[in-house]
Amino acid sequence: MGAVNIGPGALAAYYALLIFPLTVMVWFRIPIISRTITAVARMTLQLLFVGLYLQVVFKLNNPWVNSLWLILMIGVADFSIARGCGLRLTRFAIPLFGALVAGTAIPLLLFVGPLLQRPDLMDAQYVIPIGGMILGNCLRADIIGIRNFYDAVQKSDKAFVHALSQGARLQEAVRPYLRDACQAALLPTVATMATIGLVALPGMMTGVILGGTDPMTAIRYQIAIMIAIFSGTAITVILAILLTVRKGFTPYGVLDLQAFKSAP
Amino acid sequence: MKPSTDFGADGPGGWGGNRASVPSIEIKNITVRFEGKMILEDFSLHVNSGEKVVLTGESGLGKSTVLRSVLGFVIPVEGSIFINGQPLSPETVWRLRTFLAYVPQEPNLGSGPLREWLERPFTYRANSGLRKNLDRIPELFDRFLLSMDLLEKEVSTLSGGEKQRVALVSAILLDRKIFLLDEPTSALDDSNRDRMMDYLRSIPDRAVLAVSHDPALLALADRVVRLS
Repeated sequence: MGAVNIGPGALAAYYALLIFPLTVMVWFRIPIISRTITAVARMTLQLLFVGLYLQVVFKLNNPWVNSLWLILMIGVADFSIARGCGLRLTRFAIPLFGALVAGTAIPLLLFVGPLLQRPDLMDAQYVIPIGGMILGNCLRADIIGIRNFYDAVQKSDKAFVHALSQGARLQEAVRPYLRDACQAALLPTVATMATIGLVALPGMMTGVILGGTDPMTAIRYQIAIMIAIFSGTAITVILAILLTVRKGFTPYGVLDLQAFKSAP
Repeated sequence: MKPSTDFGADGPGGWGGNRASVPSIEIKNITVRFEGKMILEDFSLHVNSGEKVVLTGESGLGKSTVLRSVLGFVIPVEGSIFINGQPLSPETVWRLRTFLAYVPQEPNLGSGPLREWLERPFTYRANSGLRKNLDRIPELFDRFLLSMDLLEKEVSTLSGGEKQRVALVSAILLDRKIFLLDEPTSALDDSNRDRMMDYLRSIPDRAVLAVSHDPALLALADRVVRLS
């Protein structure tokens, strides 16, 4: 048993539901109408493109093609994080990429390998959707964590350099800021885990149920994916900050404002 | 405006102290620019071991920049800085900072209880052997008229004068050879200023480079350097 197919005509008709929020926006003059229409158009085109591409990827199910797809997704995430945090891509692209690879690959390979016991670690059916979910959460957590970290160091410049003057090495001086940044980045996932199933049914579980799997199997998948997401975000945030520290500070340990796009 | 140095104005008080052949601080012809603006140009200064030197002059002439340069927080575009005869560089700065004690003008102590703040530097590897110095907290609090009750207080709630004295206590606990003091008496009342002067007189073996406009501090200096 699989999910009932949605015909193109039926889906097109379903867009009519958007008339309600758009009418509300017009009525109350909420100034995001054009952004909303653009976002709906982008969502449609992006998902159609990904759908077409994934059909090919799933048909081929070649480990090299699957790996290339993951690397491409990580590259896009890398760019998004640098842009979202105002970091200069030329300096931060490699450390951010390394952190994303570790944060995505470790939980993903443990998921497909020891947990699902798939003979092919790069099986498209598992690697692409699960990798995408982990990576999406790593992206969000990295943006929160890295922004929080560099903003806090910049705002507490006097306290930070005072710690250096007291003999702290760079890794010692950044420790309190690293701790606070990790907390900020991980709290949303912790909050989600604490309320999951009570407030909303998660997307993956819903998808697995719609696919015809029994709810208990769907729940086991969801528990595993939450552990993977939490572990992946923790790995990527800690690594992203630790690996970028050398690029974001001068050799004397002071925050290097030239590392940021808003620098003069 | 181009800062210049005047090396002839020895203070009348004179803290005295031992003089060694290698200066504690030697600044050679440094030029500092920030966002295209000249902050210091071809500036030189030396502070001998045990010597107390006060930098004075109008605001905006780069006095605090001199202290920040010695700490490696500001990097001169030209010139060099030596601490205890060793050049300040990315490789040496981490070790050389362990010779320095810095008391900023308006210390930002961050957050958390004061006791935790005072103990934090001793968690750094460079200071791990100095932890026994924390036993001196009661003596130093008494000396600088600080209540022991402050230890449990949140550091951000301390007054400006309390923060300055606490920063000095922390510097003393770290047992450094060179003190860098940025307007150390600016938030102190007369009695607290007298206590600080008494302390500075009691350390003839420590070099001090201070930035100040305080006549009392200028009068007690071995040498006053006036930036103009």
